[in-house]
Amino acid sequence: MRSRRNFLKQMSGAALAIGAAPSVFTWALPQPQSDSIDMPGEDGLIVRSFRFVDLETPVEYFNTWLTPVSHFFVRNHMHEPSELNGNLANNDWRLTVDGEVDKPLTLTFSELSKLETHTVVNTLECAGNGRSLHRPQVPGIQWGKGAVGTARFSGPRLQDVLQRAGIKPTGKHVMFRGLDEVPGKVPPFIRSIPIEKALDSDTLVATHMNGAPLTKHHGFPARALVPGWIGAASCKWLTKIKILDSEFVGNFMSPGYRFPNQPGKPGEAVKPEDTHPLTVLNVKSVISGPLDGASLKAGKVAVQGAAWAGESNIVQVEVSTDGGLRWNRASLGRDQARYAWRLWAYEWKASSGDYIILSRATDSEGRTQPANPLWNPSGYLYNAVDQVKIHVA
Amino acid sequence: MSHERKSNSKRARAYCFSVTTLAVIIWAVSAPSELSQKAVADLPAGPMQAKATTACLECHEARIILQQRLSKAAWTKEVDKMVKWGAVVDANDRDALIDYLSLNFSPDQPEYAPPRTSGERTSWKK
Repeated sequence: MRSRRNFLKQMSGAALAIGAAPSVFTWALPQPQSDSIDMPGEDGLIVRSFRFVDLETPVEYFNTWLTPVSHFFVRNHMHEPSELNGNLANNDWRLTVDGEVDKPLTLTFSELSKLETHTVVNTLECAGNGRSLHRPQVPGIQWGKGAVGTARFSGPRLQDVLQRAGIKPTGKHVMFRGLDEVPGKVPPFIRSIPIEKALDSDTLVATHMNGAPLTKHHGFPARALVPGWIGAASCKWLTKIKILDSEFVGNFMSPGYRFPNQPGKPGEAVKPEDTHPLTVLNVKSVISGPLDGASLKAGKVAVQGAAWAGESNIVQVEVSTDGGLRWNRASLGRDQARYAWRLWAYEWKASSGDYIILSRATDSEGRTQPANPLWNPSGYLYNAVDQVKIHVA
Repeated sequence: MSHERKSNSKRARAYCFSVTTLAVIIWAVSAPSELSQKAVADLPAGPMQAKATTACLECHEARIILQQRLSKAAWTKEVDKMVKWGAVVDANDRDALIDYLSLNFSPDQPEYAPPRTSGERTSWKK
């Protein structure tokens, strides 16, 4: 009875919250939701799917350099492991390393934890982030702009784990397998990364996120963390590492997670041989406020958001308040780390009217967000100039 | 045209809201005392609703389908892929299933409005 009452209390709280929100935030909120779903530890996230779990961060949460775990997007391809429940005391979790190695290895969690810990602040983004913005539409989870977040990940370096097993000269790729449970005859979620990236001193077997043990949704007890790369590289619930002499062959390496070598016309099919596996993230910025559809009072308006560029650095973010005719340089936030986004802000003196606000990031390789998205059949790496439409009264 | 669609979608949202509220009340009164997380959605009514539910929702929930806006050609590819991945679809039902999905989830349908998780946001009421 107690839990039923709590649930009802939460439901009425959610309904009240919708009514109370405009007085709390000056920006217009997205459409009130018809219902909310109770998922402990997941705070106000957009439910793209409940079973299996796919949760998106609303863009208005992108106002802190580190994204709290409760606001961090969740991308699962399969069902979460039913055996792991946050307590390893009675658990037989193991990490094995085999394949092209001198001596295959099995580590318990306490053995893994004895290795030196390294910390990396990383912006993790799902390759399909922004998929719903492509035209024509493409199949897949219809992410808006929020399948991305930044967290402080820590755990042993992957190179330290691999070197204990001793990599043979024939070892060229590193395959990760998680404990997620495969429904039907769906191919298991297995991918590989090249040995060079696996041996990079910033690639981790992460056990912690923002200083706390990984939660189940984020891969408890350990996940790969491949910084600057698409989220799919960072396998959750990691249990098996295999060193291979060539790239892993499987659905999530091909046809999954591949990008056309040459940009094609929207809607046009691409031959598998004309594609390559996705690796690093693109240069990109997202406006976290004002929100699309907002109605504001004339005066000072802070246009703000976050910008990231995979393994490269953000060097500039520009904001246009006139649909792209003139661009103004935004100031970049103080917090920075190699693979982490930069927050940015531009103070705008708004007079009444209707506006299209744009943001455009440029990185240290000279890459700039394109005006139009690069359409591709699976809707990966959307990174067009971001835009919101607002009204100033 | 667009105004009409807007008010239709408003009506649809209001309908969804009342249906959801009703479902929550029924659930709260009748559910066992454990806090359930069975917050899964249904597929729309139609001649293939039951068969699509059996074939598709064994592995994933309806929202994965509800959020798609695809052409018939794209739905055909998806259905054939899912059959290969274990979805049980009688060969005689394949075309009807593709028609059902193409009709309900075509690119000209209004955008799907997903729910949110509750949680700390409920503290806004303070």
